[in-house]
Amino acid sequence: MPEAVAGERARWHPFATLAAAANARMAAWIRRRQGMDHLPVTLERRRLYILPTRAGLAFTALLFLMLLAGLNYANSLALFLTFLLSGFALVVMQQCHRNLLGTEVVAAIAPAVFARSTGTLVLTLANRGATARIRLEAALVKGVPQTADVPAHLEQRIELPVPAPLRGVVRIERVRLSTAHPFGLFRAWTWVHTEVAMLVYPYPHGRLPMPADSARTAGARSHSGAGADEWFGLRPFRPGDSPRQVDWKAYAREAPLLVKEYVQGASELRMFEYAQLAHFDEEARLSQLARWVVDAEASGERYGLTIPGVQLAPDRGPEHRHRCLAALALFGREDGVA
Amino acid sequence: MRSSVALPAASAASLRPLLWTCAAFAGGVLLHADRVPPWAAGIALLLIAWRLLNAHRGGGDPGTVARVLLALLLVAIVLARFHTLNGLAAGTTLLVLMAGMKLLETHAARDQFVMVAAGLFLLLAACLDRQELARAPLYGLQAWLCCAALAVVAAPMTSTRAALSLAGRALLLAVPLALLLFVFFPRLPGAFWAIPRGDLALTGLSDTMTPGGIGLLATNYDPAFRVQFSGPTPPPEERYWRGPVLHDFDGQTWRATPSALRTRVPREYLGTAYHYRVQLEPSHQRWWFALDTPVELPDSRALLTYDDLIIGAEPVNDALSFAAVSYTHARAGRPLEMAAQHQDTDLPPGANPRTRALAESLRARAGSDAALVQAALDYLRTGGFVYSLEPERLGVDAVDDFLFRTRVGFCGHYASAFVVMMRAAGVPAHVVTGYLGGEWIPFGGYLLLRQADAHAWAEVWLEGRGWTRVDPTAVVEPERLQRGILYLLPQELSVRERLLHASPWLTEWLQRWDAANAWWTNHVLKFDYEAQLDVLARLGIRSPDARYLGWAFMLVLCLWLAFIAWHVGRSIRPGRKDALVRSYERLCRKLARIAPRAPHQGPLDFAAALIARRPDLQPTVLPLFTRYAELRYGPPSAQTLRAQDIRAFRQSVARLRLRHPSTAHASAGARLPA
Repeated sequence: MPEAVAGERARWHPFATLAAAANARMAAWIRRRQGMDHLPVTLERRRLYILPTRAGLAFTALLFLMLLAGLNYANSLALFLTFLLSGFALVVMQQCHRNLLGTEVVAAIAPAVFARSTGTLVLTLANRGATARIRLEAALVKGVPQTADVPAHLEQRIELPVPAPLRGVVRIERVRLSTAHPFGLFRAWTWVHTEVAMLVYPYPHGRLPMPADSARTAGARSHSGAGADEWFGLRPFRPGDSPRQVDWKAYAREAPLLVKEYVQGASELRMFEYAQLAHFDEEARLSQLARWVVDAEASGERYGLTIPGVQLAPDRGPEHRHRCLAALALFGREDGVA
Repeated sequence: MRSSVALPAASAASLRPLLWTCAAFAGGVLLHADRVPPWAAGIALLLIAWRLLNAHRGGGDPGTVARVLLALLLVAIVLARFHTLNGLAAGTTLLVLMAGMKLLETHAARDQFVMVAAGLFLLLAACLDRQELARAPLYGLQAWLCCAALAVVAAPMTSTRAALSLAGRALLLAVPLALLLFVFFPRLPGAFWAIPRGDLALTGLSDTMTPGGIGLLATNYDPAFRVQFSGPTPPPEERYWRGPVLHDFDGQTWRATPSALRTRVPREYLGTAYHYRVQLEPSHQRWWFALDTPVELPDSRALLTYDDLIIGAEPVNDALSFAAVSYTHARAGRPLEMAAQHQDTDLPPGANPRTRALAESLRARAGSDAALVQAALDYLRTGGFVYSLEPERLGVDAVDDFLFRTRVGFCGHYASAFVVMMRAAGVPAHVVTGYLGGEWIPFGGYLLLRQADAHAWAEVWLEGRGWTRVDPTAVVEPERLQRGILYLLPQELSVRERLLHASPWLTEWLQRWDAANAWWTNHVLKFDYEAQLDVLARLGIRSPDARYLGWAFMLVLCLWLAFIAWHVGRSIRPGRKDALVRSYERLCRKLARIAPRAPHQGPLDFAAALIARRPDLQPTVLPLFTRYAELRYGPPSAQTLRAQDIRAFRQSVARLRLRHPSTAHASAGARLPA
């Protein structure tokens, strides 16, 4: 699977290819140099890098001009100003470095999402020092950076959007943490290499009705119609919810997207089988199965799943739902079972 | 962003950096407000005001065409006004205007950075332009403002206080390095690229004198130069500082006649030799003022004329200092050349007939040239002449009018009249302009000469003695030798000067201020290549070797960097945890034998895990963890109360002893204070 790609910059740059190649080499070198990280990781000196930003380079050019002018006129004030601002730049470099140094990356998790949506990498940073760390930026490769302050002695979460176009696993191999605080003249950064795998469930989609109780299923089952559903309440919409359960009337009244929840006194028992959907292609089958799993869970039914290589006995609850959807997500992938 | 787009209404986040960049730029403009043409400063300030108002209203930019046309128009005006874009004045004006134009299209952080850079560049131009001590704090403030603006540009939501404190702290930390570099960074002995400085107003004496011209200087209180003596100091009546020597008289105006062909008269110096160093204030003229008769050329940057005046190769545009040796008495070694004699006895034909007649009658009575000089001085002393800075206007025969009608004048009138009398009697004579006296500044141990000390006197050629100084003013007003003109004629002073002189306390502070200025000029502004070698010599480095100096410099630089790293990192170091966290970690360490705490476990989870493993520890351990959770995550209480609680918690953690499970039943456990 490709790494997460987001916010591709459209601006053309004459050396884009060269720069990209150089960046890739650099990243590979850093990866070799640092090795894999096991969280929690404290950002030590040897893994922090710092370079002037564009503004910093411009500032350096300004200082050089000032130096020339000062030397040319043997003007003490101009020279002192130049030296003062040079010292300022060096102090700023230290401040920038220190803003990142010693930050602890406590955790990085990416909850599973459905395909065709955007997942989230939740990064937890901890500041063990007595000074707040200001404007730490976290970004994925080519991702849009997210900024957060980490107050003294506290932890802070940063949520990074991870696009999930296709089902399967999005492997997030490295996260870039950087800061240009306080003056934007320097940028200190580091790469954290953590193996975060974001599971992407298949996009729940399909119009087929849920199969009725299978003959193969054992155990008691009760015939109960829709009338057996008991109104339970409303909850906010989550990706994967069936459109049939959305409270469209409330939505029309400009309420947020809400989902009606029902519980069933006596749940049905359903078996979803890959083999049943012979006339679809693979992805459509998985989408349909995912749809059924989501719907069945939402209506509180007991359900099982059979796909080639995986058989899940009927059950219900969030964990069961995750097991089923994960099996669908990983179907046919070499990554194996999560 | 570059065309005329209506922007969304201003938000605080977009307005703040704009406000700061405008402030940084406006600061730069104000530093030049009295130097660039008023219309240019006005346009820049108007552009700033317009940009801010427009941003506040959320209005759009002016169109690209309008901006380009306006920019071209402004360049054209600058060209028309200065005839060049090169040079400090034209360059600064152009920078002020073009940066103002840039402000109109400033939206992105990058543009704002450019504006702050413009503010810094204007500061640099101000440093190049003027270096007075009084302006140094302004320059410091502008540097501070620009750095704070940088912080806000980098992070728009930075509060004013945070920006100022960040920038101020970083600048203060940079000062030691700046001082180090200032002293040790190699200076160049000369300029490698000259930019014309434009026409600057000349100050001080000029090379012409109409009797009355010096009176204009008399109320100018600005310093002209300062003198520090090593060795004896001349008595007040000998403190004549030579400026332009005026030979040619057309009946109204005296003029200097530069002549490279004539040579100095060799002479024998009499009396005391005075060794001194003069620091000239920028006058944009070429005179170097030295005590009466300098012995030799002090410097390769100047030449010594036949009439003992030192003339610099370049105008004195920056403060300048030179060392010299002078005598106040000398005897000529040979007779006056014919050309000189002719030049210094020349008078416009037909002018001032009454003076000529007077001179001839004095000549007839006097036996020698020296007696004639004495007779002329006696005439002035006894003729009812009055010293005043506000004499009447004189007629066509100015000297006749002065000697026989008004009889009121000051040094220019007396010197002029005296020289005319001498020439009419056939004695070579000329007018010398310069400064007389000076104020002794005890704090710096130097003599301060102000423009108000400008003076004019005469020199006559006496056989056997050579050029001899005669000061006719001293005959009319002997006090002038002892005291400055301002003390002499208090009614001539402006209100400001009178106020300043009303209290000795103020006078003393004025002197201190001048001493500070002198120090500033001497040790800061004039810290050049030679001064650098001098400092190194004082450190014991006689022949500076670039390699060792480089190493020494690197060493000090590293020390400074280490200090900065320590200082900046002090509070960020993870070692400095608060007392509560330290106690809690100690508690966890003590219990690690039973079960180490996993990073994700909160205090209560951890306690539960512990108790699951060792139920007997519940009464001992659970209260500690509950207490910690209360202190750490509970509602904040008063600071003192909290400090007490934390101390109590630390003590209970310290008292905690873990018993082996078999003996644990007897343990009462650590008690917590209620």
